[in-house]
Amino acid sequence: MASSVSPIKTTAAGYVGYQGREGHYAFLLHRLTGLGTLLFLLIHILDTSTVYFFPALYEHAIALYRSTPFMLGEIGLVFAVVYHGVNGLRIAVTDLWMPKRWAIQTQRKAVWTTLVISVILWAPAALWMLYNMLLHNHGINILPFIGTH
Amino acid sequence: MLVYLKIYRYNPEAGRNVPSYDTYNIEAEPTDRVLDLLEEVKGHIDGTLSYRRSCAHGVCGSDAMRINGRNMLACKVLVKDVGSEITVEPILGLPVLKDMIVDMEPFFDSYKAVMPFLVNDDIPADGKERLQSPEQRERFDDTTKCIMCAACTTSCPVFWADDQYVGPAAVVAAHRFIFDSRDQAGDDRLKILSDHGGVFRCRTAFNCTEACPREIHVTQAIAEVKQAITS
Repeated sequence: MASSVSPIKTTAAGYVGYQGREGHYAFLLHRLTGLGTLLFLLIHILDTSTVYFFPALYEHAIALYRSTPFMLGEIGLVFAVVYHGVNGLRIAVTDLWMPKRWAIQTQRKAVWTTLVISVILWAPAALWMLYNMLLHNHGINILPFIGTH
Repeated sequence: MLVYLKIYRYNPEAGRNVPSYDTYNIEAEPTDRVLDLLEEVKGHIDGTLSYRRSCAHGVCGSDAMRINGRNMLACKVLVKDVGSEITVEPILGLPVLKDMIVDMEPFFDSYKAVMPFLVNDDIPADGKERLQSPEQRERFDDTTKCIMCAACTTSCPVFWADDQYVGPAAVVAAHRFIFDSRDQAGDDRLKILSDHGGVFRCRTAFNCTEACPREIHVTQAIAEVKQAITS
């Protein structure tokens, strides 16, 4: 008798255990950033809905968003959105217009290029958000030449 | 060199109902293949070890397995290329029958579903053969190389999650005939592959292309079939 294969177990074993190359990890990061962004959107719909249903709770939600853990999460959220978008473009452009670029050496490089472009696009926003978080929550100014606002 | 070999074992008929691993220290040459190590275990240490092998030269496609976590043919990979600690496990996503032997029927069902044979009911112009230019033959040359080892399909994250997806190997088989100038059933195959379990389930993780022991451009073939459907 064959061992029963649960798709969830197989998927988990494959995601974590399969020793794929760049494409495998790009796929995992794409999925993770997509699900992360979706989770944020769901939470955001819930917290915005409190304006109408429970105004007092809304104030509490906004206060939570200004807390350090949430602001760090938001910095991560910006990376998730940027990476998901840039990697999505890599896939769409290759798949729709350049199928011949689905070649091993080309894609190994393209995955790294995607990551570098994402980090370059993310860094200024991340720095600005970090600056505001440290200034307002902890009184630390990491960009003294800008001053406080 | 001494190789630490860790092998997945599962044999419900002999009471090994829960998958576990057996380990061996094997003396090997760096140029030995992983298949040679398995032969050493089966031939001299434990005859109950089971795996498929036939030609042992990378042509029949019987011995696809996960070697150090990645799909490969045991007969094509050398010890020096995977190191002195080697873990051998069955391919993922197909039911394991015994040790490295998986039930290939779901894989072959997907293969059969895409009509992997030439369809042409017309009589050839000269009554004997259907001629093809070198360019027409070149169009599908890459996908003729498939040996149906299932290394691509069982490396696919979409296939792991949903066995309704036909998988990369079936798309490669379809590609071989869709782009054959002599064939007349391309539209039928494109219709099959545009369904729920068809090419649009592909998420371009690219594991299939990396895993193919025949170096077929699998993801490219899938993209070309997608284009053929949408154009």
